Order: sequence, then C-alpha cells, then structure tokens
Amino acid sequence: MEVLSFLQSKPVLIGLHLGFAIVGIDAFFWLLGKIKDRNGSTKSRVVTAAVGTLAFVASWISGGYYYVIFYGSLVKPVIKQGLAPWAHNIVMEVKEHIFLFIIPMAVTIFFITLLHDDEIESFGIRRLALVLTALVIALGLLIGAMGFVISAAARWGAIS
Amino acid sequence: MNKTKLKLIIASVYATILNAIFVTVITVWAELSLPLKDWLKGFTGHHWTTKSIFSVLFFVLFTIIFFFILPARENNLRWALRCLIVVTILGVLALTLFFTGHHFTIW
Repeated sequence: MEVLSFLQSKPVLIGLHLGFAIVGIDAFFWLLGKIKDRNGSTKSRVVTAAVGTLAFVASWISGGYYYVIFYGSLVKPVIKQGLAPWAHNIVMEVKEHIFLFIIPMAVTIFFITLLHDDEIESFGIRRLALVLTALVIALGLLIGAMGFVISAAARWGAIS
Repeated sequence: MNKTKLKLIIASVYATILNAIFVTVITVWAELSLPLKDWLKGFTGHHWTTKSIFSVLFFVLFTIIFFFILPARENNLRWALRCLIVVTILGVLALTLFFTGHHFTIW
C-alpha cells in the first residue's frame, strides 16, 4: 500500500488526530511545569512549546481531513439516526469549532516562551502565562472527551 | 528588555482574541443564515474548511497589523492576556449554549 493512501485511511487518520493531540497536550503540560517551577532554559521552553504547537497543527490537519472527507458522509448519518443525535448536533459542532481557538492560543504561548525568565518576571505575566497554558490543556482534554462521546454515539448508533 | 518580542506577543494575544470572536460569531451567524453557510460551503467545498482557512488568515493578518500599530507596553500585555482568557472561556460557553439551544429548537 502506498504511504499516502495508508495515511489517508480512516483508522490511521483518527489515530494521527488523537496521537498528535496527546503529544500537544503533554507538551503543554510539560511547559506548564517549566513555567511554574522556573526550571529549564529559554531554549527548552521554546522547544517544548514548538513541539506542542506543531502537534496541535498536525492533529488539526489529520482530524480536519477525516472530518471533511469521511465524517459527514459516513459517521454523521449514523449518529443522527441513532440513540444520541445530540452527540453530533451539540458535541461535534462545539468540538469542531473550539478546535479553531487552540492553534492561535498555542502560537501565542510559543511567542511567550521566547521571553527569558527574568522578562516573564519583570512583565508580571508568569501567572497569566500559566493560566493560558492550562486553558490550552483544558481545551485539549475537553476536545478529547468530546471525541470519545462522538465515537461512542457512532458505535451505539451503528448497532441500535 | 526586548521591545520586539513584547510587541510580537501583544500583537499575537490581540489577534487570538479577535480569532476567538470571529470563529464564534461566524459559526453562530452561519447556523442562523443559510445563505452565509452556503457561501462558506461554496468557497472551499466545506463550511468548516473555509472557517479554518479564514481563521488562520485572520490570525496572521491581525498579528502583523497589531505588531506595527500597537505600542509595546507591559500593562497592555497583562490586560490583553486577561481578556484572552475571558474571551476564550466565553467563546466556548457561547458555542455550547448556542448548539444546545439549536438542538432543542429553543432558537
């Protein structure tokens, strides 16, 4: 099988979407600890934020491709005709749109990590940077939980 | 103190705030206005793809604009970060409430 067609297959896309999201969430968790405990160099914070941001971008592209090409024609009708149509009408609709908040937030945090530790201190933004990073993590986890609900609704929709 | 980094962060924070408002407003508006949703679909073939592309362009464009027009003030950064946190939470709540109401045909 060609590499491209393998990457475009449904289970692989879902796996990439989830896998990259987990890497993104973990990277921002790691960054949260670095900002809070003031450990690590500026370079290590920049690299951690870059990994998290790129992982979220990769999750966005793989999940977006799956959503646009497969979800609407194959999964959405099953959910809508199943036991929990609200899983699409509410959960999926909210999930697909709040994902669009995450990338600019992650890029902004990446820019903040360009600051040296003494600059973060002198600008008085350590606490705000922590809250913003925690918010990206919370949104990532929320989107993950929403994905689980949508998958469960599709499974139950298929056998009901 | 590096003024360029401060200007870049302030510009990015304000562009992120505008992005969250843009995504929330265009999403709700498109659900209530079929012509707008059809236009978004027609642009790329899928309304979400169009919103995604516009969202990225919106963020990049306004980051560049704000970089050149906004002053590098530390208290401006603190205020903008507080706004960003509040606007993001409100955006999530607004979309959740809207789609919940839409599902239960409250509006």
